[in-house]
Amino acid sequence: MSSSAHSDVAPIVVSDVVKRFDKVTALDHVSLSVLRGETFGLIGPNGSGKTTLIRMLLGLGRPTSGNISVLGRKMPSRQVASRIGYMTQSSALYNELSIRENLAFFGTLYGLRGRRLKERIAATLSLVELAARADSPIQTLSGGMRQRVSLGCALIHEPELIFLDEPTVGIDPELRLAFWEYFAQLNQRGVTLVVSTHHLDEAARCNRLGLLRFGRLLAADSPDALRARSGQQDFEQAFLYFAQQAETAEAGEPTPAAEKEA
Amino acid sequence: MSLFRVMAIAGRIIRQFVRDRRTMALLFLAPLLVMTILQIVLTSSNGSVTLALVPPPGPIGANLTQVIKAPDSIKLKVITADQAEPGLKNGDYDGVLTFPDYFLARLQQGQSPTLRLRLEGSNPGAAKQLTSLVKVLVATIAVPQSGGQSASVTPTVTTSYLYGGPEYTTTDALAPLFVGLFSFFFVFLLTSVAFLRERSQGTIERLLVAPVTRTELVLGYVFGFTVFALAQSAVILLYVIFALRVHYAGNPFVIFLVTAALTIGGVNLGIFISAFARNELQIVQFIPLVIVPQVLLGGLFFPVKTLPVVLFQLANIMPITYANVALQGVMLKGFGVGDILGDLIFLVGFALLMVLLAAFSLRQEKV
Ligand SMILES: Nc1ncnc2c1ncn2[C@@H]1O[C@H](COP(=O)(O)OP(=O)(O)OP(=O)(O)O)[C@@H](O)[C@H]1O
Ligand SMILES: [Mg+2]
Repeated sequence: MSSSAHSDVAPIVVSDVVKRFDKVTALDHVSLSVLRGETFGLIGPNGSGKTTLIRMLLGLGRPTSGNISVLGRKMPSRQVASRIGYMTQSSALYNELSIRENLAFFGTLYGLRGRRLKERIAATLSLVELAARADSPIQTLSGGMRQRVSLGCALIHEPELIFLDEPTVGIDPELRLAFWEYFAQLNQRGVTLVVSTHHLDEAARCNRLGLLRFGRLLAADSPDALRARSGQQDFEQAFLYFAQQAETAEAGEPTPAAEKEA
Repeated sequence: MSLFRVMAIAGRIIRQFVRDRRTMALLFLAPLLVMTILQIVLTSSNGSVTLALVPPPGPIGANLTQVIKAPDSIKLKVITADQAEPGLKNGDYDGVLTFPDYFLARLQQGQSPTLRLRLEGSNPGAAKQLTSLVKVLVATIAVPQSGGQSASVTPTVTTSYLYGGPEYTTTDALAPLFVGLFSFFFVFLLTSVAFLRERSQGTIERLLVAPVTRTELVLGYVFGFTVFALAQSAVILLYVIFALRVHYAGNPFVIFLVTAALTIGGVNLGIFISAFARNELQIVQFIPLVIVPQVLLGGLFFPVKTLPVVLFQLANIMPITYANVALQGVMLKGFGVGDILGDLIFLVGFALLMVLLAAFSLRQEKV
């Protein structure tokens, strides 16, 4: 149950979602909502369910139980696909094609044509600082450059809701900073972002954070509130605090995700 | 459905392969190499050959098959005159030897009767065997003259062909088979590998998340690969006609139709099969299952009708069998769409079935 005071419908509402693979429970009764224009961070150890949650939100798989609504539609839905951008955890690109060709391909799939497509390609190339290498095939690029192209492909069609699965892996500190500044600009334009990350300094930049562990959402709150609630200055310590809390509560009823207004 | 998106996918596939020089070389040069080698190696085709006999009226007609001594590889069969032409068209026998009504009378008068040998012609090996058999046969029929003169009378033979002519060779007969085989199998292999890569490099996730329908995805793949298959068929045809000097009677448009139907089946079979493979090596493991039986049983090495029952049934559900019959019809016999309609319908049916399977496997993609 969300007690959001916002007037418009939240772009993402997840209610009591469970996702089970053969043996693993990747998501365990997760409920949360993401608000318009915010950056919602997902942090948690490897295998905690971040990618699984993002894939469910994109309709790339059906939850075992529970409901997901994205941009006012029950997922999976093709109607909202063109308003969403997705950057996969590993840079998923066509290696034989150049940067420009990759951008053009995904741009065309999202309905960009002619001059508009050219403009967007140019803007995206300068955003990811790869204009000089535009015609190099992906297989000749460094790992960080590929990651940048991958981000570019998620942004080319100017989506209003963007999922970024560990977008800054392998990206140098300077460009990482530039990315987060760009994310803040997008927020100001009303664009909503869901970002998973292992960098705690990046987590601190999110409007709100979801802490995932073994598929359970331990807490979802603003970074300051999480620090205050745990009484810890350091995120790592705060994370451990919530993990311990969850473990002590294990015997009792499974705690639904704590959702509090900042 | 958006044609833009379909064309974007098709264009992307074409670009990817054009960049891949080695695959391109394989696609276009390997068939030429194989055909050249085969032309050198093959001299005549094997398999059993059937000769139908239309006997003259009277007593010799009844035991003609006993009188004529043919090698084991040639089967003899007695028929009536009006069965001759339909039977040849139907492929029931490879040639018909007709004895004229006046056969005996002429011989007894010491005149040389004329036998008519009509050959089916699309199997040059069989035609050659029959021609030489009939030559030997005619020599043994030679009847010594009752008048005690030393000269004997030998019947003469006039030979005609239903299809082709004496200049047709085995390579002529094989060329159509290769057009079908290569376009089907290269397209199958390339699609399954391309689709596998789509999965392993993760781009399939981006495609599934984008506003692209399954139909657009399948159509994009079909268009992209059909371009290659048709280009490949064109190269094979040109090489075979101009470099190997194979005889050819067909209409390129009909060949295009057959190849296109076959390609659509191959592309979608590739998409479907790639769902069961985790890497390129596992795709290669499907070759003995999907490709080898079709190469062996589809009519390239053994005539389909001579296969044992079980294999014959198997051959009858393989697309290559039908493509072979259709392409041989078009290229050797100059058949039009109407003549190969049955085969074409089977190929289109197969293609549609594969499209359904591919669409189904794409649906499973969203776990
Ligand atoms: N297709 C799948 N089949 C079976 N199990 C899966 C599948 N996808 C994910 N899992 C399991 O679900 C759990 C959550 O995986 P997920 O990829 O969501 O983790 P993550 O939080 O993104 O981890 P990381 O930080 O390493 O990216 C893991 O235990 C994983 O093994
Ligand atoms: Mg992950």
